[in-house]
Amino acid sequence: MRRDPPPPIYTTRSGIPLKAAYGPDDVPADHRAVMGGLPGEPPFHRGGFPQGYRTKPWRIFQLSGFGKPEDENERIKFLLKNGETGFLMEHDRNTADHLYNVDHPDVVARREDVGQTGAVMQSIREVAITLDGIPIESTYGHAGGGVVQHGPFALAAYWSVARRRGIDLAGLAGTGQSDFFLTYLGCVTKQQVPTAAGLRLNADIIEFCAEHLPKWVPVSIAGYNGGDTGLNGYQELGAVIANAIEYLDEVRRRGRMDMTAAASRVGGVNFRTTMDIFEDAAKLRAARKMWCRLLRERYGVTDERALRMRIHIVTSGSMMAYQQPINNIVRGTLMALSAVLGGTQSLGVSGYDEAISIPSEHAHQMAVRIQQILQHETNITAVADPLGGSYYIEALTAELERRGWEFAEEIAGRGGFLATLDSGWLHARARDNQVAEQQAENDGRRIVVGVTDFRDDVSPFEIDGFPGVSDAYEVARARLDEVRRERHEAGAHAAVKRLERACRGTENIMPVMMEALGAEVTLGEIGDVFRSVWGDWQTPELV
Amino acid sequence: MSNAARILLVKTALDGHWRGLSVVARALRDAGFHVIMGGMLTGAEIVRAAVDEDVDLVGLNVGGHVQVVERVLGELRAARPDLPVFAGGVLPPASCKRLGALGVECYPPGSSLDDIVAAARRLTGHLAKP
Repeated sequence: MRRDPPPPIYTTRSGIPLKAAYGPDDVPADHRAVMGGLPGEPPFHRGGFPQGYRTKPWRIFQLSGFGKPEDENERIKFLLKNGETGFLMEHDRNTADHLYNVDHPDVVARREDVGQTGAVMQSIREVAITLDGIPIESTYGHAGGGVVQHGPFALAAYWSVARRRGIDLAGLAGTGQSDFFLTYLGCVTKQQVPTAAGLRLNADIIEFCAEHLPKWVPVSIAGYNGGDTGLNGYQELGAVIANAIEYLDEVRRRGRMDMTAAASRVGGVNFRTTMDIFEDAAKLRAARKMWCRLLRERYGVTDERALRMRIHIVTSGSMMAYQQPINNIVRGTLMALSAVLGGTQSLGVSGYDEAISIPSEHAHQMAVRIQQILQHETNITAVADPLGGSYYIEALTAELERRGWEFAEEIAGRGGFLATLDSGWLHARARDNQVAEQQAENDGRRIVVGVTDFRDDVSPFEIDGFPGVSDAYEVARARLDEVRRERHEAGAHAAVKRLERACRGTENIMPVMMEALGAEVTLGEIGDVFRSVWGDWQTPELV
Repeated sequence: MSNAARILLVKTALDGHWRGLSVVARALRDAGFHVIMGGMLTGAEIVRAAVDEDVDLVGLNVGGHVQVVERVLGELRAARPDLPVFAGGVLPPASCKRLGALGVECYPPGSSLDDIVAAARRLTGHLAKP
């Protein structure tokens, strides 16, 4: 029931109480002690680099993909032509996230959905089509594989295509994802390897990259997916730290890498920014400071390059409104501004049609243009950490850090990040906030323009959304048949057996995964191996 | 509570985003409905769950194309022609129009929880158990 708004309570979006103005006494003493430091100096709250964006502008890096591999290829080229400076290659969620081929009954039952959020790529052939003509030797690429069990396939396929082109993997720059937040918290699949198996896969990828792909970010911890599921700013910080601890402890336990190298590998992290511009800019400052402290104190890392967290930001998709969607161009701009004020290294802006469909060409172009306008017209890139020294921002940075550590410790007390995913404890924290935020909009305590207030009954919809293509399923079926018909069957069979042995044992699965891709083993067959070896994650009650 | 109208909430797509479904489920429970979470189900599975659970209303959380929803609806109507259905999720205006023509009320992002609860009351009203 909509009521008269209660007297305003001033807090950040995460609920941190706010004063009307800030002064020197609001910055706690321990934070004040590092306030005089400069950008590029540990603990890096002021930014990772002394010259800020003068050294290197942030990477314009948009999620992209739909339809057939040809459609995705065309969209990636469109974005690069428009000025994107790295590309993200999305795989179809129905098939990729579940490691199903397109003829799996669960996919057939939803065949029109196939290709909605990324191209179907069941074998190396389809990955090669998606990457056709894209200069991956000189363009930073995200291979897909956001979901943990899909990471090894997506990476091995991308790297195999690179090898076939004669590219030396040692020089290949890009990133994987294999994100626990997406997989086990934000977008919970129908079928998934258990978290312990997921941790093993990620540790294999980290070690494989250390040996063969020094310029590749093996996995990316995506706090975004915790944030947009409901975790607030300091919970996102604490959970990212808790996630990093699982990865780094595992790598240390395996004992094959030194911790400086491991820290550098795991140091590419993703957060979200929301419409609370200052809280989220402060969140990025707090994140870098926490990262530096974690590595120094828990892992004894001293190398300054390894202590520096590199941040990728995606602006919050859930802030994008369905009603009056053109307003979202403003929201995207403001959230991008927050990311830049916080010193991000890389940025993706949600499409203005986010609440309606995957991005149209125009929405995608706007997302790139927003970033170009910020980079070239606002002078914002001239000075590093422009908010540094503001009493408000420094107090907020310190408070987010304090609460972030508290949340990380609470997770540790409950057995660690994986345990709180397995038990559903993290989901419950997200759920509490989801409900509270929706209630606040419902009863008038939070205003969303065009949604809760300032509504426009005359013309409720200004855009139709992007429909995608209708032939992704049929083409994927035909390509699957083609691979099965044309591949060397005994070779593929042997590669599947090798993969299964590797999964059951302790050797790194990535070399065998590369062999399997080379032998044209398909996505669904790899899924069958994973399912037979590890079974299915026991999903906690979400709702 | 045993007399509460029963609502089955399901996801039609293999897309695991659950935030929207979560807040709707909570609002319906708070309003006194008995909510059954079905998960990601195919049309045949939704029919089975609706019959087994003897529900009064089905809520479809849509994360994919409208054709999939239409097929699910066809199967559901064949088995339980009078069972009311409403839908939420990522529903472009054109999809809302198509589903509306088939008698399915749509609640896209930004819909108020009050409106969703009111719809559930109205749609289950004539079926409310004594």
